[in-house]
Amino acid sequence: MDIDMVAPGLERIAGPDPPLDRIAHGLTFSEGLVWDRRNGQLFFVDIIGNTIWKWVPGVGREIVLRPSDHANGMTFDRQGRLVVAGWSKRTIWRLESDGRIITLASRFQGKKLNSPNDIVVRSDGSIYWTDPPGGLVIPGMVAEDVQRYLDVQGVFRLSPDGQEVRLVIEDCVYPNGLAFSPDESLLYVNDSRLGIIRMFDVRADGSVGPGRLFHKLAGSEPGVADGMKVDMEGNVYCTGPGGVHVIDPKGKPLGRLKIPGHSTNMAWGGEDWRFLYVTTYNSVYRTRMKIPGVAVW
Amino acid sequence: MTWKFELVAGPYEGPNGGLAWDGKAMLFSVIDEGRILRFDPNSGAVQEFRRYTNRTNGIAFGPDGVLYGCQEGGRRIIQFLPDGSAAPTANQLAGRYHNFPSDLAIDRGGRVWFSDPYHGTPAFGPQIFPPLDHASVLRLERDERRQWVIRRITYDTAAPRAVLLSIDEGTLYVAEGDAGRIGLRELRAYPVNSGGSVGPYTVLHTFGADHRGPHRSIEGMCLDSEDNIVACAGWKRSGPGPLIYVFSPSGAVLETHPVPADLPMRCAFGDVDLGSLYVTTGQGHLYRAKATGRRGVYRGPSPR
Repeated sequence: MDIDMVAPGLERIAGPDPPLDRIAHGLTFSEGLVWDRRNGQLFFVDIIGNTIWKWVPGVGREIVLRPSDHANGMTFDRQGRLVVAGWSKRTIWRLESDGRIITLASRFQGKKLNSPNDIVVRSDGSIYWTDPPGGLVIPGMVAEDVQRYLDVQGVFRLSPDGQEVRLVIEDCVYPNGLAFSPDESLLYVNDSRLGIIRMFDVRADGSVGPGRLFHKLAGSEPGVADGMKVDMEGNVYCTGPGGVHVIDPKGKPLGRLKIPGHSTNMAWGGEDWRFLYVTTYNSVYRTRMKIPGVAVW
Repeated sequence: MTWKFELVAGPYEGPNGGLAWDGKAMLFSVIDEGRILRFDPNSGAVQEFRRYTNRTNGIAFGPDGVLYGCQEGGRRIIQFLPDGSAAPTANQLAGRYHNFPSDLAIDRGGRVWFSDPYHGTPAFGPQIFPPLDHASVLRLERDERRQWVIRRITYDTAAPRAVLLSIDEGTLYVAEGDAGRIGLRELRAYPVNSGGSVGPYTVLHTFGADHRGPHRSIEGMCLDSEDNIVACAGWKRSGPGPLIYVFSPSGAVLETHPVPADLPMRCAFGDVDLGSLYVTTGQGHLYRAKATGRRGVYRGPSPR
């Protein structure tokens, strides 16, 4: 894989020549990937293809759910159940082992959510998601009801008991990817329109303090601030122009992992959490890093 | 008869687009603000009818009483339903996403005829689907299973801007061409065949050019009760200036009326007698001329 080295720290993370394997192709808009450690498989979505897929190393891929209502970001909760940022379904929902779909959140202050984009579960069981309005208008991915009702595009949190939806960040333009630092003291949220990543101190009650600029993405190649993940040393990985931008915990750019096409999101995987899977519009890639990512579930 | 235009709302950010008289008030689209506003002639008040319209331009009521809109930002026709929700319709022509619907005319059967030109501003979000290799008049309609489908109507347009049906729905008027691109700029009349396709067009009016540049052609039009075509055209840059034209069904210019602002966009008759003409402009104005001596054709949601 080609690497743009900006600072020597990237060689310690990525090595001199990390592999780049394409594990799936022929997709229209792949996104929402998450590693299932229990079964050693990767879940991902094709938003426009309206499908949730899973891919098993050495076996291949198969359909989990179609139609998916243009599902987007996915992760696992503390019980190992798939939870989904429903995007055009305008809900946060959970896939049960028997295939049932359980709606976890659909409204804030009585109004329908915009279109939940990406999602992360904190160790206390609370669920955080970004809620930009793109799933109401983008050709190829729209809801049954395309009317937007909320006057905010923010970050929401569903309490661990599933009872309360709280607006934790309200001053975003187009919030997209989000991830916690390894100790969960910080929440990173990026903004596709502004091309920035902000960091927020997480309080004990799950609310967050005021946002501070963490990093502004640079580059002119295809790609915007979209998916975002963190490794065990606190480095931040964010899609952006040209591929995956790697940023150290102080916000300094270390370099870029150059991915063909337009990167949309990524996930850590494998038994040691050192594989980094990356979705682009049309494909899913896999590379391998020298330090592990933050495990999911 | 001289028409006296008065400014009744605006200016707003960016150009204003389509209008629709709802029986009591005039709805008009503020495209770049993503809003449809409602001007009440009794009180003079302007209220918000919808927000977050994602650059909806042309609006019109269907025979079902539902307001339809041309959503340029999403490249689709949507329905603004009475409960406040909005429903998408079909947005593919033979498996390909169409362009940027701009203006529409809805017939008594509920079929939505719309212009589908290119647009300099891309649709919202990632650019996955390229535009069509043609810019045509298309028609949205229900198939035998009540599913929305889209059919192509014209095969000889390059930049259709405005569409209009005659009172008997036997003629489709198309304003072809815009001053920002090379090509014909003219008002055409297509006969509508019994099967719903159209035959060869006649040209009702042609717009010229001079050393100052091309004369701006028609961006919007409506019918009067005598089947004449009332059209917004012209600009200050060249030609006779911003005007409202009244064309007979055969293309004779019956009247012209200067508009006091540049770039008249769309027009519609309103007020209780349907005798006032409302005009939107490229600078975000809503103008009205009362007592035009003409009357509109009511297409609103309920009988008057």
